[in-house]
Amino acid sequence: MMRVTEGSASRASLAGLQADASRLAALQQQLSSGRQITKPSDSPTGTVSALQLRSQLKQINQFQANGTDALGWLTTVDSSLHSVTSQLQQVRSLVLQGMNTGTGNAVSNEALAQQVDQARASLLALGNSTYLGRPVFGGTTAGGVAFDASGSYVGDTGTVTRTVGPNAAIDLNNPGTATFGANGNNLFDLLTDISANLRGNPSALGTDLQRLDTQQISITNEQSLAGAKYQRIQSVQNTTNTNLIQLKSQLSDLQDIDLADVAVQVTSANAAYQAALATTAKVSQISLLDFLR
Amino acid sequence: MSSSFSGLTNALASLNAQRYGLDVTGQNIANANTPGYTRQRADLAEVGPVPGISALYATQHPNSSVTVSGTSRLNDPVVDARARSEHGRNGYLQTSAGTLSSVEGLVDEPSDHGLAEQLNDFWNSWASVANNPGDAAARNVVLQKAAGLASSINETSAALGRVTQSVTQQANAATDQINTAATALAQLNGDIAVATATGTNANALADQRDSLLMKLSDLSGAQASIQPNGTATVTIGGQTVVSSTTATAVSLSPSNQIMVGGTPAGPAGGSLQALVDGLNTALPGYAAQLDSVASALASTVNAAQASGYDLAGNPGGPLFAGTTAATLSVVVTNPANLAASGTPGGNLGGSVALSMSQLGSSPTGADVAYRNLIGTLATDVQRADQQAAVQQAVTTSVDGLAQSSAGVSFDEETTNLLTYQRAYQASSRVLTTVDETLDTLISHTGRVGL
Repeated sequence: MMRVTEGSASRASLAGLQADASRLAALQQQLSSGRQITKPSDSPTGTVSALQLRSQLKQINQFQANGTDALGWLTTVDSSLHSVTSQLQQVRSLVLQGMNTGTGNAVSNEALAQQVDQARASLLALGNSTYLGRPVFGGTTAGGVAFDASGSYVGDTGTVTRTVGPNAAIDLNNPGTATFGANGNNLFDLLTDISANLRGNPSALGTDLQRLDTQQISITNEQSLAGAKYQRIQSVQNTTNTNLIQLKSQLSDLQDIDLADVAVQVTSANAAYQAALATTAKVSQISLLDFLR
Repeated sequence: MSSSFSGLTNALASLNAQRYGLDVTGQNIANANTPGYTRQRADLAEVGPVPGISALYATQHPNSSVTVSGTSRLNDPVVDARARSEHGRNGYLQTSAGTLSSVEGLVDEPSDHGLAEQLNDFWNSWASVANNPGDAAARNVVLQKAAGLASSINETSAALGRVTQSVTQQANAATDQINTAATALAQLNGDIAVATATGTNANALADQRDSLLMKLSDLSGAQASIQPNGTATVTIGGQTVVSSTTATAVSLSPSNQIMVGGTPAGPAGGSLQALVDGLNTALPGYAAQLDSVASALASTVNAAQASGYDLAGNPGGPLFAGTTAATLSVVVTNPANLAASGTPGGNLGGSVALSMSQLGSSPTGADVAYRNLIGTLATDVQRADQQAAVQQAVTTSVDGLAQSSAGVSFDEETTNLLTYQRAYQASSRVLTTVDETLDTLISHTGRVGL
């Protein structure tokens, strides 16, 4: 049998008290910080997973910011092309009027030509539409416009790309030449021709009308392409949103405490500590000396 | 027949012996709280007739007397030896855990402002540049994040250096303490040898000796063997440090090897070995991993930069200089010099910025290297903590075992007090009785008829 002395008994009680106190302190730290993992060694695998999840979360947040930016860009493209289409409708009716009038009325044709010139200026402004200071039809040009005053393309063929989700890098633009036609034969050249023909050679307006329709088709194509990209980005964003929520809940499972659970544990640790204190205080007071007279 | 006065002598011997017993009990109670004190016991022995003398010449001795044959020191040498070896292991594990946890304190993970989060922010700042390559503000943010990242890595490296420095100081302090204790033990060995040779009570010296041995075990995992004359021989890592009255100096070589009098010692245990292992293995390991984070960051970022063109259309230069955690720095000062475009010509392309923003998920990038560092560190700390906790429990239990044989129990001492007191009282009664008997003989005998 092991001999028990006052010294060993008090050391054992003290060790027990310290163990209780440190368990209580650890639980209280969890409760006050709200974290299960307050330092890496609390859970090495949990820490590494938490770091990975945090990095993915940040990335997804960035994807969403990229997506919002991409939607803004595409909205600019869409509304510009929408305006371009309605302007072209007007030009088309002007051309039809000119064809009907024929060579008979120079004054009336001059008025039509001036309207076409106005439409050209307005279309040029639409072709130079900007998003955050960048011409959306100018490729990756560092300049402020996609088309100069003469209507020739001064942008480049670079692509503007936004990564809106994992492995979802979407090219937002086609160069302005794809939408408005190649230099020398683009929309603005066409309008210059129409204006000139209205003034001097109304018989050529029939060909111009065909060219206008061809131009209209390519613009509609570009607009629907932008719309399709818009939808694709939205659907990717929906997916990443779901992903974001899942990642957040995973991270929370990993690093946050179950409040009720820890609160109960703290209460029971507290009770154990108090019991140990009370017992120690009572036991240590008794010795044989109390009974000898 | 025995002498008429032998009863008096016997009673006197008994009174002396019981009083000695009371003295020893008093000493035990007085030293109940003295650290390192081992309880003692008065050894009483019966004194019989001198052997080898013929009954013809010797008187019959129906009652024998008592004498104090010595004072026992009631420790358990086997448990003491085991306690020393457990203390050596405990010293090693507690100190290792302490060193590792001070390294762990340097990395604030997982948190919103640790290095991992700074890396994430840095990569994300590139995504803003990719979205808007012409925006000077977005480019400035990249430079700020890069500078913050570099200085965080520098600071972590410097803090690791400070931990190394403090561990070196601890190791030197431990070496000094070992040498002081070894010298004291050598002196004590001399005193014990003299005391044993002259038959003096060496119990107090033995207590001091055991305290010093325990201290040496904690510090250096020293192995001790107690010689028949009570002196202790101490070896550290197979090299003799204290033998009789000679103490050999323990020192650390420049390469942090424990040396005993110029000879390298084997693996020793104790705090010193833990500090030395920390200096030789653990700390350089973490420093190397931190360096690999820095070099992975610099190489992946600089390689991506070199593949691109800056705002003016010039090929991109390196963003970071230095390949170690201590020397990593940002060399680009003009935000326009950051390469974002994948094509020359000074355009607003963002393909390089885009690939920069995705370097965080590169398998050879800084993020993976950093996660490896954190994973290794966390596992090491957790293992060291668990081992230290287990060893602490073992050590406490062995200490309890040693204490259970060597510790003073008041109940026991009080009982002894009673026993000796009663024996003293009884011996006094014997003395009185013999005295009265003799009085009858001397004063009242032969007075019949007077």
